[in-house]
Amino acid sequence: MIRSCVNMAAALVAAALCIAPACAGGAREAFVTSQLADSVGVVDLATMKKVADVAVAGRPAGIAMSPRGDFAYVTAPEGNELIAIDTGARKIDWRLNVGKGPLGIAVNPKSGAVYVANWYGDEIVSVDPGKKAVVARVKVGRAPSGLAVTPDGETLLSADRESDALSVIDAGSFQRVGEIKVGEHPFGVVIEPGGKRAFAANVVSNDVSIIDLAARKVVATVKVGSRPYDIAFAAGRAFVTNQASRSVSVFALSDLETIATISVGDYPEGIEATPDEKSVYVSCWADNVLQRIDPEKLTVEGSAEVADGPRAFGDFLR
Amino acid sequence: MKRIVAAIALIAVLPALAIAHGPSRKKEVTTIEINAPADKVWELVGNYRDMSWHPAIAKTEADPGELKKEVSKRKLTFKSGAVFTDTLTRYEPETKTIAFLTNEEDLKTLPVEGYSSTISVADAGGKSKVEWKGAFYRGYMNNDPPPELSDAAAIKAVAAFQKEGLEALKAKLEGGK
Repeated sequence: MIRSCVNMAAALVAAALCIAPACAGGAREAFVTSQLADSVGVVDLATMKKVADVAVAGRPAGIAMSPRGDFAYVTAPEGNELIAIDTGARKIDWRLNVGKGPLGIAVNPKSGAVYVANWYGDEIVSVDPGKKAVVARVKVGRAPSGLAVTPDGETLLSADRESDALSVIDAGSFQRVGEIKVGEHPFGVVIEPGGKRAFAANVVSNDVSIIDLAARKVVATVKVGSRPYDIAFAAGRAFVTNQASRSVSVFALSDLETIATISVGDYPEGIEATPDEKSVYVSCWADNVLQRIDPEKLTVEGSAEVADGPRAFGDFLR
Repeated sequence: MKRIVAAIALIAVLPALAIAHGPSRKKEVTTIEINAPADKVWELVGNYRDMSWHPAIAKTEADPGELKKEVSKRKLTFKSGAVFTDTLTRYEPETKTIAFLTNEEDLKTLPVEGYSSTISVADAGGKSKVEWKGAFYRGYMNNDPPPELSDAAAIKAVAAFQKEGLEALKAKLEGGK
């Protein structure tokens, strides 16, 4: 009897956990780079509480997850380093000098290669996490920021902020094979689920360029708020952080019509959806919070305190 | 001849420097309590067309017409002669919050770039609490900046600028008491 009650209680707890928005097919944790605090905070998404802090010197900014989520790769622009954090142990596992001002970061979903954009070096480096070494470098436009890899792992894009363009890099040969002019000062770049289109957030022209990847051409431009930074996709919608408007712009992926502007914490920056697309998490740099947006209701549903200056630029959920 | 070439090279480099910054943004928050009703304080700080409440500002030239966030721009001439331009990014009279973001700066006046200010006024029992949140980059694009363009120099300059502004605002509103 007692035993079965305990079992029943356990089953109920498990059921309750799986009703929680971040559970089924979702993510459990967010790793948030707190740039001004020189740390990476771990937020439990079910409780929206910070459960750990990993000290990371060098003003951590960019972040990406290994394909299995066992490592979080973080860039430290002022330390010129790529830092690999063991996500389970919450400890730095290894670190590597990669060049000048590493900022944007992405992981190849097929090969596991880690790509880092060197903001001051105008180059992208490819790091083999097995060898813990830089294995290739390629020159791109000026001040490369965001990086994105197509789902097939074949193509890498960099947003070259001061060149108003995206570079197209063939991941296999690690050669720059094209350049696509976009709006003014692209920062975040992401690839739509399905891999057909790329979206770039243009900080100065206050819009999002939508690029047909096969044609390598901008096919549409959507106006958003002030100083757009990064983009996430959920529920057939794009969510764009507007740093200077303290808001997230939402538009439909089908007709690109604006649906809503959601008020969030001040200076929203990194934004990412869970794999089940039931939650969107946004990091608010000025207010030191990570917020959860319900992508159907278009409302802020929860908030977690994090350390000073959270940016979470890249993929920070696992 | 060499000097002319150098001068041309410098001119060619300058516009690029003016739009380039490092990847680490800084914050500075300044607050003050003013013995005046929030409406009175908002009348001054909420007026995008006139920043003369700040002692460093000599002249404000804003776009004519209705104030629109992300559209309205202005030119601020400092008493030193330096010119900054900015864009209105938030304008919320109902919450008494205004925000603006610089487009062009003068590094000798304030060694910063992309300086965003959010000023809000809250009622504090008949008095007012004013908060000025600054977010900005240092005015140097690379690691290892010279001391005058370092993060520390930027933070120091912004802290002094915001403090000077809020103290003058307080003096102006409480004047005569």
